[in-house]
Order: sequence, then structure tokens, then C-alpha cells
Amino acid sequence: MIVAEIKPFGEIKDILKGYNKVLIVGCGTCVTVCMSGGERQVELLASALRIARKIEGNEITVGERTILRQCDPEFIDQIKDEAAQYDAILSMACGAGVQGITERLGSISVLPAMNTTFIGVSDGQGTWVEVCTACGDCILYKTGGICPVARCAKGLINGPCGGSQSGLCEVSKDNPCVWQQIYARLVKLNLLHSLKGMSQPKTWPVHPRRLVREDLRLKKEPTKGV
Amino acid sequence: MTDKAIPPCQAACPIHTDVRGYVSAIAKGDVEEAIRIIRQVNPVRDLSLNGVNPFPSVCGRICTRPCENVCRRAQIDEPISIAALKRFAADQTKGLKLIQQPEHYYDEKVAVIGGGPAGLTAAHDLALLGYSVTVFEAQNVLGGMLSEGIPQYRLPKDVVKEEIDFILSLGVEVKTGLSLGRDFTIEGLLKDYQAVFLAIGSQKSLFPKCNGVELSGIITAVEFLKQVSRGQRPLLGKRVVVVGGGHTATDAARTSLRLGSSEVTIIYRRTLDEMPAGREEVEDAEREGVKISYLTAPVEFLGNRNVQKVRCIEMRLGELDESGRRRPVPIENSEFEIDADTVILAIGYIPEVDALKDSRLILSKNGTVVVKDKTGVTNLKGVFGGGDVVSGPLSVIEAIAAGKKAADAIHRYFYNIPNKEFEEPLAFRSLDDSVVRLINKSIRQKMPTLPIEKRINSFAEVELGYNWDEAVREAQRCLLCGSGALVEENCAACLNCVRICPYGVPVPGREIAEIDISQCQACGICMSECSASAINLKLETKEEARATLEKVIDVAMRETPKVLIIGFYCKYKLPAGPPDGREGVYWLGKLCTGRLDVFQLIYPFELGADGVAVHMCKNEECHFRDGSRWLLTHIERAKKILDEIGMGANRLDIISEEDVSDFRKRFEDLGINPI
Repeated sequence: MIVAEIKPFGEIKDILKGYNKVLIVGCGTCVTVCMSGGERQVELLASALRIARKIEGNEITVGERTILRQCDPEFIDQIKDEAAQYDAILSMACGAGVQGITERLGSISVLPAMNTTFIGVSDGQGTWVEVCTACGDCILYKTGGICPVARCAKGLINGPCGGSQSGLCEVSKDNPCVWQQIYARLVKLNLLHSLKGMSQPKTWPVHPRRLVREDLRLKKEPTKGV
Repeated sequence: MTDKAIPPCQAACPIHTDVRGYVSAIAKGDVEEAIRIIRQVNPVRDLSLNGVNPFPSVCGRICTRPCENVCRRAQIDEPISIAALKRFAADQTKGLKLIQQPEHYYDEKVAVIGGGPAGLTAAHDLALLGYSVTVFEAQNVLGGMLSEGIPQYRLPKDVVKEEIDFILSLGVEVKTGLSLGRDFTIEGLLKDYQAVFLAIGSQKSLFPKCNGVELSGIITAVEFLKQVSRGQRPLLGKRVVVVGGGHTATDAARTSLRLGSSEVTIIYRRTLDEMPAGREEVEDAEREGVKISYLTAPVEFLGNRNVQKVRCIEMRLGELDESGRRRPVPIENSEFEIDADTVILAIGYIPEVDALKDSRLILSKNGTVVVKDKTGVTNLKGVFGGGDVVSGPLSVIEAIAAGKKAADAIHRYFYNIPNKEFEEPLAFRSLDDSVVRLINKSIRQKMPTLPIEKRINSFAEVELGYNWDEAVREAQRCLLCGSGALVEENCAACLNCVRICPYGVPVPGREIAEIDISQCQACGICMSECSASAINLKLETKEEARATLEKVIDVAMRETPKVLIIGFYCKYKLPAGPPDGREGVYWLGKLCTGRLDVFQLIYPFELGADGVAVHMCKNEECHFRDGSRWLLTHIERAKKILDEIGMGANRLDIISEEDVSDFRKRFEDLGINPI
């Protein structure tokens, strides 16, 4: 899932400077699961904003909505009419959600309340770790299911850098050396030989990427505009 | 399965009273709400009269309490004292008139024969449905066994009278002193009334087939108790032997003691385990001085004109009989004698069949009226039967249930409404051992009683009833079965609830988290942490919590205090109300403050509060596991936000037990909030 965290309150307040009617839109998928941009956080941020602006003597009207996903136009359409009554939308989704709404609703400012951090997995209550960079060319079959692209500080794909000490990364001692982990896993799986071949330098994609699935595309224009 | 399930207490109650509803109202200190739940039709919840009990004070004292037998609290320690709480609710709200008007008035008239609990309940329900009802009672007083069968030390007369007066105040007409068979017939009534409910009870005593039973000094318990209730004081002599094992036997024995007999012995042919009177009743009798001779049956009554001895035989328990109890079998050559000046027989009752013999009603060989189904339809058109006359002697709550069913059946009969299907309600399953282990133990509040020496010289009520503190504490032992968390469809399956539940109840389902409401303890911690706001607590929904807060602040704003402080406290910790010495704070009590989420701590400031105080209990005192710990977490998060928004973290303050001093001053020093 995409992991995101809410921006510092002061920054959000600055972003909203000049806006007096804002609709906060939560997202019911990834950011709800990582407990940063769900209905509960929308409610709390809305109240905090109203109080803060009242204290400044510059009251703000804040609306609250949460839709299931901000990365699909059909869900965004659910707030279309409501959004028209506001100066801006403050999206509590990942960057994809912010831009999803921007693309769909066009004529209204869409502002981010979140910093999108990474694609990650849950590592116990309240902790998430980055495990994938969406590089577009997966090599996990070679590395025992552990990704060096995302989890090596230097992004090395042919073994450790030499700075690894006692299984810890030299860049940040808080992190394990991912190559040590890959090695240990492959020994355990009796697959160490899979590291024998050399991985060629990755062909980094040109941004922005676009994925087109011809097999899924409608052959003629849909009758209902999407 | 849990969708339709109800708490076991409610399922076991013959009238399916909303026990959890009134117990939780008492737990919150709202006794008026409790009596409303017991007495009133709730038009939103249930248009039928199911559950409404016209005899709460009576049942609160003498109910046989099938609810307590199935209470899940017994898995942890002891069942909730449900009847005592009902009594508390009824006693505390005396004089509160909860009259409801019928929605329609119908033309049909109904005659009820018998003014006992079954008949009066039917009259009550029919009157509330909008019928005119006349009750015909053979005695001069209404109440049947309630007035004349149960001694005053268990059920004072004024308590019965008050409940009957309430029923009569609904417009029920009464004709006392008129006896079926002597003064009127069922056929005769059917000329003036469109339906008849026959509920004459079962008051004719059975006699043991023993020689000497005709001797003087041998009396029946029903007749004896009736005499005493009318103020007579029969001369019993020093030694009294009571034969039987039901409530009537213990009632007769304890009454004999109160009339001055010093040696009172109950002889019962089975053991305490089989004794219908129930363990508590037996213990009370023994404490007062009644001896009980178990596994003993009378063989012969000896004496000249007056009885002098009871010849008994020892019994042992053999195979199971048709009632599911082990059949007592005499032990050969074990006869012995007990001296007796009076013998009181309490071995069973049948209806007064003489009154029915001229009617065309079909009777069983025991003399009970045969009905076609549970609704009480008899072989005569328009004639319904219910209560002890149909079932044989049972409890008051069974009689009430029969009265309710008859009222419902009569209404359906008049308007050709098909009968409801009498589906037995499904009760929540037992608590899992893994959950039981995690629930704090809490002992049952003892019922205060009259000291023994004061009891046996008078007919003063033995059980004194809970005081406010005892009642609230007892009610708070209730597990509030099924009031817990419901997962709504917008659950994002973040599994936060799965990870944080102190009782380990939520599990990941196929699409959303699943919480088995039969196991949930209703602490609400998952609700306070649910990112999608997809969990709601039946006990107090998010919307209700918010509305209550808004209401309190609205009231506070109008009173324009110098500084407006909202205080939260735990009702489990402080059942008597907000902490002492903290006047001038607008308090909100919660059944556990662990589910006070960050929003509820911030929102008061938006509404105009100058400070929020949270009375904190220590974690080890917490009613629910982890409640205090979560409250602290929420306070920390809220303080951070208050700092960020310029309100100041110190406007949210924890006040502890010790810290009585000047917390108010701290708020006053901060002055009004910067808004």
C-alpha cells in the first residue's frame, strides 16, 4: 500500500492562507489503512483548522468528506457538486489522489495535506517500512524476495557495498544491511547460486510512466463518459 | 448468527424484558430511563407490548429469576442481581406516573376471570391496546397469590396494591366478590363480552395419601397463608411440620416462626438440589431457624383428635422421572417419628375445578384447562385460558407472560390478525475462555437484610433493597452483552482493531474486520482508534457522544461561567457522580473514558470551552483492560494538536485522585480561551 503522513499543522495552515472555504477530502483506502487520511483524521484536522483560524481572527469554513479512492474518477464525481461550493480542496490522500482530483475537477485548487512517503508494508502497530520503489523491472526472484532497490541505501543490485558492519547499513545504523538479509535468506532457501549471474544496470524509466493495457481498453467509446 | 441474538437474560425471561437496557440505565445512574424500559411501550423499538411488565416491584422481589440462571457474568464470578436491580428501579420511581394512552379505542369488551397476576396483566395489556376490560375476582381483594399467598415479609401488601392501582388507573373495571360458577358463568359473560380470559389460578391443595390426614391440626399452606394475610393469627403450637419443598413450603415455615412456633421443620422427599424453593430462600429459612429434613416423606399422621406426630420414612433418589428429576424411593425399615402440634401441607395445587365443571371447557385429568396452543385458545369460541389454571402452579413471571400472550391473542382474534410465530429467541453464546480470563472479577453486591432477631418477631420485609451506591455498582457489573462494537461497511480493513483490542475479539474477515458482538466487551477502544470511523458502539454511538457533548456545552454557554470547563470522568470509577470539590465544572460521565477519542478532547474548544479536565483513574483500577492507557495516549495527541493550533496544551488537564487542590485556579489563571 501507499504510505503517507500528514504534514505539520503549521505547513497546512500556510498552504491554506487566503482560502476561507475549504473542503477536506479523506481517502478510504491506503491512507485510511495507514491511519493518516481517513474519516477520523479528516474530522480532527477540520476541527483543528477551524479553531486555529478562529484564534487568528480569520475564520474558515471547513467541509468534511471521505471517498473510497481519490485515484478513480467515478469516486471523485461523488464530491463534484459539493466541491463547487468551496474555494479549495484539501486532499488527505497520497499525491496520486491530489492529482486525481485536480485532473477530474479542473476548476478548483486542490491542495495536499499529506506527504506521500513510500510503498510499504505494515511492520507491527504504528510502523510501516518501505519495500518497493515501483521501479518497473522486478528482480525479487533473484534476491530471495527482498528488494535491494528499495531497501539498500545505495540501491545496489549486485551485492553489498563493503561498508556493512555487523549486519547494519553504514548509511544509517538504524537499518539492517539488506544485502546481509538477502544473503541469509538465500542460504536458508538453498538458493545462493541465484546471485551468481550479474544483474545488468537497470533501465530507469522515463517519467511520467503510463500503463496501457490494450486487452482491457474498450474498443469503442463508452456510452457513459468516464 | 449473532445478528438476531439477544442477551441470554432477555431470552430466558418469559416476557423477554430488556434486562440489559434497564441495568445499563442504572449503571449510568438514570433510574427513570430504567423504569421506562421496564414499564413502557417503546413505540420506536417495538409496537407490541412484549417485554412491558406491569409488576416490576413484585417481580423485583419474588421473581424466580430465570434470567440470573443464564447470566454470562457467572462465567467470571457471579450473575448480576437482576431482580434486585428491577426492584431498585421500581422503588426509586414510586409516584412517577408513566401512563400511556392507547392509539385507538375499540368497541369490544373483554371479561377477565381472576384478578391474579395473569388476569391483571391481560387487563393491563388489553387496556393499553384500547379495549374496555372488566376483571371478575372471587375474593374481596385483587392480586390472587400475590396478595394472599405470599407472606408480607417477602412481598409487602402496599407494594402489590400500588402496582394493582396503577393497572386500574388505566381504566380497568373490577368486580370483586363474584365467583365463577356461583355468581356467574362463562356462557353468561359471553352475552355481554366478546371475549373471556380465564385465569382463576390453581389454589386447591393436594393432600398426601396417608392415614390420619383428616386429623385436626393438619392444614393446607394456601389456606394458612391466606388467613395470615387477612390478619388472622392461627394457633399452631410449638412444633410445626411443613410438608413440601416449594416456595409455599418455605413461606409457611417462615410464617410459622413469625407466629411464635419455635420448632419448625420442613420435610421434603428430595434434596436441596431439586428443591423448587431455591437455594437462597432455603438459606434464609435456615438462618431464621427452620430445620429442613431432606429425603423424608410422610407415611402417616398420628394422634387422637389432634395430630401429635408425623410418621416419616427416609428416601433415596432413584432413576429419573418424567420431570427430569430423580425419583425418590423409600428406604425400607427407615421409619421415624417427628412430634408435631400442627402439620402444614404444601405438596401441590390444582385449579378449583368445581367452578369449571358446568362449563363446556375441556379439562385435563389434573383439572387444568386444556388450551390449543401457547396463545391460550380453548375449545370454546372467544374463551382464552392462561396462568396457573392452564399450566398448573408456576411462577409469577410465567403468569404475567400468560396474561400478555392472552391479551395479544384476544386482539388478534377480534381482528383476524394471524398469530405471531412463537420463535424462541436466540441468545448470545457463552463467552470464550480466552475472553473470560481477561475480564476483571467483581463480586455481587449483597442484598441488605433485616437482622434475624428483628425478622422473626414481625412480618417486616426481610430484604431491604439496594441503596443508590449498591445498585449502581451492581448494575456496573453487567457485561452489557451485545452492546459492543459494530463494524460498518466503510471499514478499510486496516486491522487496527484486530491489533489493539484488549480482549482479542476482532479478526480479519474476507473484506472487512469482523467483531463477534457476542464476545465484545464494549470498551470502545477500537472505535476511538478506527481510522475509517467505521466502528460504532451500541452502548453509546459516536453520534450520541457528540450530541451529549454539544448539549452540555450549550447549557454551559447560556450560564456564562467565568471560565467554561468541560470535565470528563469515568462512571465505573465514580458511580456516585463527578469527583468531589470540583464545582463549576460541566461534567460528562462515561462508562470508561478509554474511548474518549482525540476529537472529543479538541471539539469542546471549537464549541467555546476554555478548558477540558479529565479525571483519570489509575490503570490497575480500570474497569476495562487498558482503558486508562488509551486515554493517556489520546490526551497526549490532543495536547500536541492544542499546542499546534495556538490553544495551548495546558488547557487540557488531567486531574487525579490526589490533586483536589487548585486545578480550577490553574484554569482561571489561563483565562478565557484565545478565540
